Amino acid sequence: MYILGVSCFYHDSSASLIKDGIVVAAAQEERFSRKKHDISFPIKAIDYCLKSQNIKIDQIDYIAFYEKPVLKFERVLYQHLQSFPKSYKTFLQYLPSWTNEKLRIVKIIRKKTKYKGDVLFVDHHMAHASSFLISPYKKAAILTVDGVGEWTTTAYGVGENRSIKLLKEIHFPHSLGLLYSTITAYLGFSVNNSEYKVMGLSAYGNMDRKTNQYYNRLKEIIDIKEDGSFRFNMDYFVYHYLDKMPSKKLCDLLEGKIRKPDEELTQRHKDIAAAVQLITEEAVTKILNHLHKSTKCDNLVISGGVGLNSVYNGKILRNTHFKGVWLQPDPGDGGTSLSAAMYVYNTILGKERKYILKDVYLGPEFSNKEIQEFLDKNGIKYNKFKDKKSLVKHTAQLIFKNNVVGWFQGRMEWGPRALGARSILSNPCNKDMKEILNLKVKHREKFRPFAPVVCIEDANKYFDCNKPIPEAADFMLMVYPIKEQYHKKIPAVTHVDGSGRLQTVRGDQNKLYYNLIKEFGRLSGIPVLINTSFNIRGEPIVCSPHDAYKCMMGTGIDYLVIGDFLIKRENNTKDIWDSEKTAKD
Amino acid sequence: MSLKDFLEGFKKGQVFFGESIAFLINTVLLTIVYFVGVGLTSIIAKIFGKGFIDMKTDPQTGSYWKELNLDKKPIQYYYRQF
Repeated sequence: MYILGVSCFYHDSSASLIKDGIVVAAAQEERFSRKKHDISFPIKAIDYCLKSQNIKIDQIDYIAFYEKPVLKFERVLYQHLQSFPKSYKTFLQYLPSWTNEKLRIVKIIRKKTKYKGDVLFVDHHMAHASSFLISPYKKAAILTVDGVGEWTTTAYGVGENRSIKLLKEIHFPHSLGLLYSTITAYLGFSVNNSEYKVMGLSAYGNMDRKTNQYYNRLKEIIDIKEDGSFRFNMDYFVYHYLDKMPSKKLCDLLEGKIRKPDEELTQRHKDIAAAVQLITEEAVTKILNHLHKSTKCDNLVISGGVGLNSVYNGKILRNTHFKGVWLQPDPGDGGTSLSAAMYVYNTILGKERKYILKDVYLGPEFSNKEIQEFLDKNGIKYNKFKDKKSLVKHTAQLIFKNNVVGWFQGRMEWGPRALGARSILSNPCNKDMKEILNLKVKHREKFRPFAPVVCIEDANKYFDCNKPIPEAADFMLMVYPIKEQYHKKIPAVTHVDGSGRLQTVRGDQNKLYYNLIKEFGRLSGIPVLINTSFNIRGEPIVCSPHDAYKCMMGTGIDYLVIGDFLIKRENNTKDIWDSEKTAKD
Repeated sequence: MSLKDFLEGFKKGQVFFGESIAFLINTVLLTIVYFVGVGLTSIIAKIFGKGFIDMKTDPQTGSYWKELNLDKKPIQYYYRQF
């Protein structure tokens, strides 16, 4: 039995395919369309899913859609009724997208895919909560927190075997996700894209609740009860009727106008970032303590966009009574195509759970033959490694000698993170590597850290992790303190507060990547690498050999290790171009 | 100018004209719907004290959690978009 999961039209469209309860393919549309956070119908991702199994659309038994569009439309309509006449502009702006596509999803599915079978609609937060079904737990408490689904912004419940029950919820417009996005917009970053920048910036701000004046000001407009439930004073927000988020009143409260993207970041901005991080942590901690008390479960599954707050995720087991925590690699809306499909299989159809998501390699892959054909066709100069052992040895040496290496191996990752299939790797022991990477490739804001990757058995030596280390660290979803004695030894991945958003790697997940990290450890004495996403600034992570080669030649990546081939940028000067001329945020 | 260029230009012009007309009609129709449909309903509801979204905080209440109790439903529920 095949079930295809689909999510689209809000942000990060994606498709996932499960075969007899096992996830066999999953990818976000942006990787194929090359449009970051693509929201369009994921026809290319669907095509990939079908091709990966060599099947046709008529072999799909069900399509699972990640929300109930009419319920969501009801909420949008109520927003306009509540806000009349202030919402006139957004009514004109967004209503056509409802009548043209969002409310016609079945027709669009049939037209674009020629699918004639059943389409099932799973409530949005239930789709998030269904991440439980691919977790290692038989029973767990579940928390879903995002911007907004149909009406729900936050929900909690319990999952046991194949069933999930969501017990309580909080309704729009009160939303921790939208609060974080509002401050993201206020700080001059793009909404639904740059929330992680605010999270990174918060480490530079005052994280002391008593002395951070912006924390205390924000607390005045957010009423958080002891059980973690919350509501906002909506006079400070305009997202319920405009296409911007902070109100004039919020600007006055935070003592300044909305920051322009090119404006310098001051200590005030950093303190505001710290304030929203503190409020989010405080609210979620209270919810989790209430959830633990209500459900008596020791294990926790979190889903929804707020689950991408890896700074907080790393504190959960220390701040609450939970003993285990799990998140799927893509806790945001992109991930709901996968979990909605699992909900149809396990819960609606009542089939046995037989799959635990242990690695993220669910995307397209390219054989050595395909790669060589691409290289030869385009006259690209390359060398071929004689075997995997020499590939690992040579690549580790290149990284040890401070080269920046594009690493393109196996199936592409599922979710927003590059986790060793489409990664840029470099030497974390070099104190200048952050600047080198920024100068050559990433061109990021200076305050943003780079992430370390370490083999699972070495993680506790360098990082102050929970024991045992949660599997979510395999998906780069946990930030932990780096042990003080290593701050100066791996300076390129040590954030200003001494933390690192590490990825842990297990030998059975990605042997080549694992061996490379170990080999680098033999050369440097420290088995840790910098792992950052393989992309041009503002573009999605690379998917194909063409994307990877184009990225290397447009940036300053020194070498590309693609399949069994090694390409040196300097040997292919005819294809060099400057990606920064077209790069976006 | 070749015939092919002319036809391509003509086609682009038609698309532009079509989109402009569609935009105009959409704007007029949606404005009518907004002020007559949404506006009147909103005003009447406000006269009778009806709110559509829970906007207010309540310092007296102990909790803002709402009952949800959402679990597996009959399969017909999942065929519906609501």
